[in-house]
Amino acid sequence: MSKKIKANIISISVSVLLTFLITVLVLLIIGKNPAEVFIMMFEDVFGSGYGFGQTLFKATPLIICGCGLAICFHASLFNIGAEGQLNAGAFVTALVAFALSNAGFLIAVPAALICGFIVSGALGLVPAVIKVKKGVSEVITTIMMNFIILASINFFLIDFFAVKSTVHTEKIPDGIMISKMSDLLPGFQGSSLNLTFVFAILMAVATYFFIYKTKTGYKIRSVGFNETASRYMGIKTNRIVMLAFFIGSGLTSFVGMNFIMGYKGYYEFGFSNNLGFTAIAVALLAKNNPIGIIFSALLFGFLDYGGLAVNTLVPKEIMFVIQGIVILTILSVDKLVEKYYLK
Amino acid sequence: MRLFTPYYLGANAANFSERSGVINIAIEGFIIISALGYALFTIFSGSAIVGLVMAVLISVSFSLLFSLFVIKLKINQIVAGVGFNLLMAGLAKFLIVFLFQSSSNTPRFNSLPNIFFLESIPYLGKVLSDYIILFSFALVFISNFVLFKTKFGLRLRSVGENPEAGESLGIKVRLYKLYGVIICGFLASLGGIWLASNQNSFSDGMIAGRGYIAIAAMIIGKWKPVNIFIACMMFAFFEALEISLQISGTFIPSQIVQMLPYMITLLVLIGFIGKTKPPAADGIPY
Amino acid sequence: MNIIEFSNISKKFGNLKANDNISFAVRKNSVHCIVGENGAGKSTLMKILFGSYRQDSGIMKVNGSDVSFNSPLDAIANGIGMLHQHFMLIEDFTVMENVILGSEKTLNIKIDFEESERVLKEYIKKYNLDLNLNKKISELSISEQQKVEILKLLYRNSEIIIFDEPTAVLSPIEVLEFFKIIFQFKVEGKTIILITHKLNEVREISDYVSVLRRGKLVYETEKDILDLKVLSREIVGNVEIQDENTGFDYEGEPEVIAGLNNINLSVNKISVLNNLDLKLKKGEVYGICGVEGNGQNEVINILFGLEKNFTGKLNIFTDKISLVPDDRLKKGMIKEFSVGENLIIKKKECHYISNKCLKKTAEETISKYDVRMPDINAPMESLSGGNQQKVIIAREIELGNDLLIFSHPTRGVDIAASAFIHSTILQQKKKGKSILLVSSDLDEILKLSDRLGVISKGRIVAEFDRNQYNLQNEVEKTILLESIGKLMIGITGEQKN
Repeated sequence: MSKKIKANIISISVSVLLTFLITVLVLLIIGKNPAEVFIMMFEDVFGSGYGFGQTLFKATPLIICGCGLAICFHASLFNIGAEGQLNAGAFVTALVAFALSNAGFLIAVPAALICGFIVSGALGLVPAVIKVKKGVSEVITTIMMNFIILASINFFLIDFFAVKSTVHTEKIPDGIMISKMSDLLPGFQGSSLNLTFVFAILMAVATYFFIYKTKTGYKIRSVGFNETASRYMGIKTNRIVMLAFFIGSGLTSFVGMNFIMGYKGYYEFGFSNNLGFTAIAVALLAKNNPIGIIFSALLFGFLDYGGLAVNTLVPKEIMFVIQGIVILTILSVDKLVEKYYLK
Repeated sequence: MRLFTPYYLGANAANFSERSGVINIAIEGFIIISALGYALFTIFSGSAIVGLVMAVLISVSFSLLFSLFVIKLKINQIVAGVGFNLLMAGLAKFLIVFLFQSSSNTPRFNSLPNIFFLESIPYLGKVLSDYIILFSFALVFISNFVLFKTKFGLRLRSVGENPEAGESLGIKVRLYKLYGVIICGFLASLGGIWLASNQNSFSDGMIAGRGYIAIAAMIIGKWKPVNIFIACMMFAFFEALEISLQISGTFIPSQIVQMLPYMITLLVLIGFIGKTKPPAADGIPY
Repeated sequence: MNIIEFSNISKKFGNLKANDNISFAVRKNSVHCIVGENGAGKSTLMKILFGSYRQDSGIMKVNGSDVSFNSPLDAIANGIGMLHQHFMLIEDFTVMENVILGSEKTLNIKIDFEESERVLKEYIKKYNLDLNLNKKISELSISEQQKVEILKLLYRNSEIIIFDEPTAVLSPIEVLEFFKIIFQFKVEGKTIILITHKLNEVREISDYVSVLRRGKLVYETEKDILDLKVLSREIVGNVEIQDENTGFDYEGEPEVIAGLNNINLSVNKISVLNNLDLKLKKGEVYGICGVEGNGQNEVINILFGLEKNFTGKLNIFTDKISLVPDDRLKKGMIKEFSVGENLIIKKKECHYISNKCLKKTAEETISKYDVRMPDINAPMESLSGGNQQKVIIAREIELGNDLLIFSHPTRGVDIAASAFIHSTILQQKKKGKSILLVSSDLDEILKLSDRLGVISKGRIVAEFDRNQYNLQNEVEKTILLESIGKLMIGITGEQKN
């Protein structure tokens, strides 16, 4: 095993441990018994098929969005705009699915997903093109675009597509919904977990192969490490930047599959609840490795559902705090490992 | 005119940080945490002054923590900024629920004291009697003076433009970056305090992207205090317009007005409206 | 009297001994030249003196007392100033702001701009610097920027001034002006340390000379007994030329593989290429020699398709071009990738990149090009410079392209690897490849190329072919070298051949 892989394992486990300790500390400070909280959390998550299913359900969009972001991050593109991109994609997915609902599952679902992918991808292309043509950092443009996209969706939704006096679109018919896992495996006891989870796992594996085993993936990483050298090595770096942004942003749209086709049947404003930002933490924790992202998404899913489960003891909002702590610990532990272990 | 206050404080906060070469996209978080800090300490102590002092201290402590990440550990400033934003916004959400068992807002609390004798002036009374608003106006001159006329400002800017050059002349690069970030935390906290004090309540989501608009104003203002002032006034005008549109319910959708600041910033960045150039070593760890 | 004494200074970077037990002294009020090839350790030693680096061992004395500098600040406090090769200027600041930064005169809390202006104007007048204090650096020419650096030293009353290759960026007339300033420094009792590798400059202004080679002090001399021949031999050392180019037989007129015709290029409104004409013929090695920054990189970028905003005519009769760039770390490789990964990225095969494929590619290259490395999966950055360069050259050659561009192929590479690289280049020529060799090392160009062009200020100012410079007669050779040298620094006394 190379020293680098060892270093990654060390820094991930130390970060998780450190986050755990900080959480314990926070719980103690606010006068709760950490043991009680954690036992309750574990019991709820692992004690019932429902709780476990819900945890996986919460992890699903994080895997999807995390993988999309990982592609951007590998190219050293700080896509802060996933929140907007995925909402636009999911919105379009819902509209297309509804419009094609008579065409049957096999046409409506792929068509809806592809349209969503294209919309999210195209929105990701905007900052990419601005970066390539004008040299403007993608960070600022993606932040600005988040606000623009969300306001636009809000406008189109409320003024044209929403069911009256709600903030969601029309519900798609059951015929084009994706099966619930509990229909196949009754052990999940009616949890919202659906086949999108399997799709997400497959997507993570595919992303892994794309990034680490194909030439295009190598080029993306090469541009991420050193753009100048890549250019001198004959790589069309501008094209790679745009490609990474298009695919990465496009993939985030698939979170709509989980929520729309697997769960509610419609797009609802605000469904993402900062998913695009949480996914940054998920990808970072996994060092942008898609297989690792499955596990870090599960951890976040566990926190998310677990937070709900212990809401009677501690407000579930504590999970937002823990998410922030995870990002900051992984960042700092990483640097320290780099400094003291790798050198 | 009053609405410009948090924008201008936030934009100047961002500017001091970026002039020293540190991109701080966590301004939003700093504003949130200080608005919350002011709310909590005003409620629990009953004194708005205690709230003010504590809010400033909290924000400055967070900016010290932020410096530890981006200056000492040289962590990518953008990622750290996202992390701090999540943490501070999360803390605010959590503390409201935990302390007040309400998922939306705190109980009402006191505003900061005003300069009473000025309050009765017609039209302008509300502006002239508010310390923070007055300070914001003064900040146009203060920032300009500090950045461009003093030794401190010259050194701060040199660190953001070319740290190697600064260091070759014996300037303590990291120390000046630290100053930049601390000033940033301080000014951002005033923005948060003003918002909380003005609404007499803190609610989740009340900051509503003002930190990002502040950054946008800084970019449009080309990192210059006077231009930033104009940009902030423009954004404040949009906000006022949006509010009045929501009330009157005209045919112009309020969402369009809502996204105007971001749209304009994007256009400026693309270069449709004038050229803009950040400090040369902005965002590069040293 | 010795103002600076180095005793047994050593400094290592990784495995590379940049300074190896160096001891010598600098006399007060003298001009002391430190000469040596690229990578000989001159800059490292000066950075130690200026406090940017710390020596691993050895003692340094300034004005007779031991010093230990933790930062340039300590050096500045001891009256040492340094003019860096890469200017330490802030583009967006005015001349005045750049000069006073760090030592500002203040009036209450405000910077006293009036007083500063008065002081600076005196210096400008005295040294005839002709600078406008209120202009921004980005508006100044390179030589004006250098004057700003000099003004910075004057403002700080530096007594010991280190110049790191100050004339590399100057035109001959500007060089003369610069020498005048140096003489004036000397008149005022200052001590000057000058890093250079131009021997004619050494002859003109030095009082004492120290030669460094591969990190060691190998030779010392002084003005009265200065012998340039001995000096140049000491600088280069005894390098045996193994396989020299055996010449090129121009039977008839060989086909042209690439032609640049009347090329003009401006970057940021500054003209970099100026009516440049260049023809590369099939199967030859064409060498471009010149002082760095005279348009070499731009020529490469145009040929390689990275620079498109030029005017003039470009004809390339092949799309199979390989490039070994001048800066390994920045342009040649991804240092985080392993050797195999660096190789595979340009390969046509291996669309699915398996571990087997990576290993095979790496192993092939390692044996064929004699690359030495700790472990096959180790990242490129853990290899020595010479081995990194071999990997890059292997990658480019193995593509089997028709036109190979080598830019400074042996820079910072040890002797054995240099020899290997040179023979590899000649082998490629034998295989019928066309080669463009860009280097500032004239010996390298003379050794390898069939024709050479001297580039200066963005144009080829003269061309020579092998039978013109492959001379046995030492005297003739010296004359030729001198005239090429003059052309390189822009003195045009000859017609274009």
